[in-house]
Amino acid sequence: MAETLRRVLSRGSAACSGEENAADVGPPLLLLGAPGSGKTALLFAAALEAAGEGRGPVVFLTRTPLQRLPCGTRAALDPMRLQKIRFQYPPSTRELFRFLCSAHESSGPAPSLLLLDGLEEYLAEDTGPDESSYLAALLLDTAAHFSDRIGPDRDCGLAVAFQTQEEPDSGDSLHLALLQRYFPARCWLQPDASDPGEHRIRACLEPGGLGPRTEWWVTFPPRGEMTVTPWHTRAGDPSSDKGSRSEGHP
Amino acid sequence: MPCGAMAVALPAVVEELLNEMAAAVQESARIPDEHLLSLKFVFGSSAIQALDLVDRRSVTLISSPSGRRVYQVLGSSGKTYLCLASCHYCSCPAFAFSVLRKSDSLLCKHLLAVYLSQVTRTCQQLSVSDKQLTDILLTEKRQET
Repeated sequence: MAETLRRVLSRGSAACSGEENAADVGPPLLLLGAPGSGKTALLFAAALEAAGEGRGPVVFLTRTPLQRLPCGTRAALDPMRLQKIRFQYPPSTRELFRFLCSAHESSGPAPSLLLLDGLEEYLAEDTGPDESSYLAALLLDTAAHFSDRIGPDRDCGLAVAFQTQEEPDSGDSLHLALLQRYFPARCWLQPDASDPGEHRIRACLEPGGLGPRTEWWVTFPPRGEMTVTPWHTRAGDPSSDKGSRSEGHP
Repeated sequence: MPCGAMAVALPAVVEELLNEMAAAVQESARIPDEHLLSLKFVFGSSAIQALDLVDRRSVTLISSPSGRRVYQVLGSSGKTYLCLASCHYCSCPAFAFSVLRKSDSLLCKHLLAVYLSQVTRTCQQLSVSDKQLTDILLTEKRQET
């Protein structure tokens, strides 16, 4: 789903290249960030984007129903798109497994995008590394099955949000190491500490070896729409600093 | 086939080898010696064990009307393992240890046996209902705990 997310972010920033191939969803994506870093909002924006493409329903898995719709671009929040997003709320890890294992039993059009918010909640339920590994494998296998059902030209995208802690603990890093084997593309979300009033997040998308790392600022103003501005494109810019990220603003 | 736009990609050398083998088998119905040597070079003793599993027809492709499929491999110990070809997953302990924790990207002997039996077309085939396939996938989960 890395490509879908990149389109969401590019479109939001009006810096879109124009030759996007909308059928290309990109590899499975892991969305990482601390609480409040905008993972749910971005997943939801990707859901609206995919729903708007009209290639099939979007399945949005989360443990607890969203209390309110995350703020997004107003244009995207139209009822036709919302109708295409199927929310499911597996209350436990066991139920999540059951959903994934039985995904092939459902009839009707295959989803074009599978999203899971809050993977860390399911993994926290006393799952060992073997079970976590199987859960990740099943997520990929389910998306692969949906891809087969959709047809030869398109795939079902997959994106999973995993909440990291401010201070990483060993449980976190073990899960992350396991997950990174299955999810080649990653998007890190980091709140901008320099201006807490504005609630601005830096989103760093690594498409997993298929393209350059790209970064954006995503802002959530108190009322209204999420806005996205490009930060700094890394590859292809010979003068860019390929080492650690520069501090300060572009 | 272990190729295509999959999330978790096999190392390029493995993919190439499997593709070459598939082409060669189509012509001569057996794996040429040079490919066997390459297999042993890349995979070491796992290659021999995997070829043994293939010879003994230990790989079963289980599919349901939905088109979803899993592989079951009867290991040398008599235990069966579940393999998901879509993401190169195997339920065996060797996979868990060497492939994930050590971040070693080569395959366990069961996954290798799955891909070799695809290439040589020697998988046993088993058709089950959609619900039975769900149970097979779920049972794997229960065995983990």
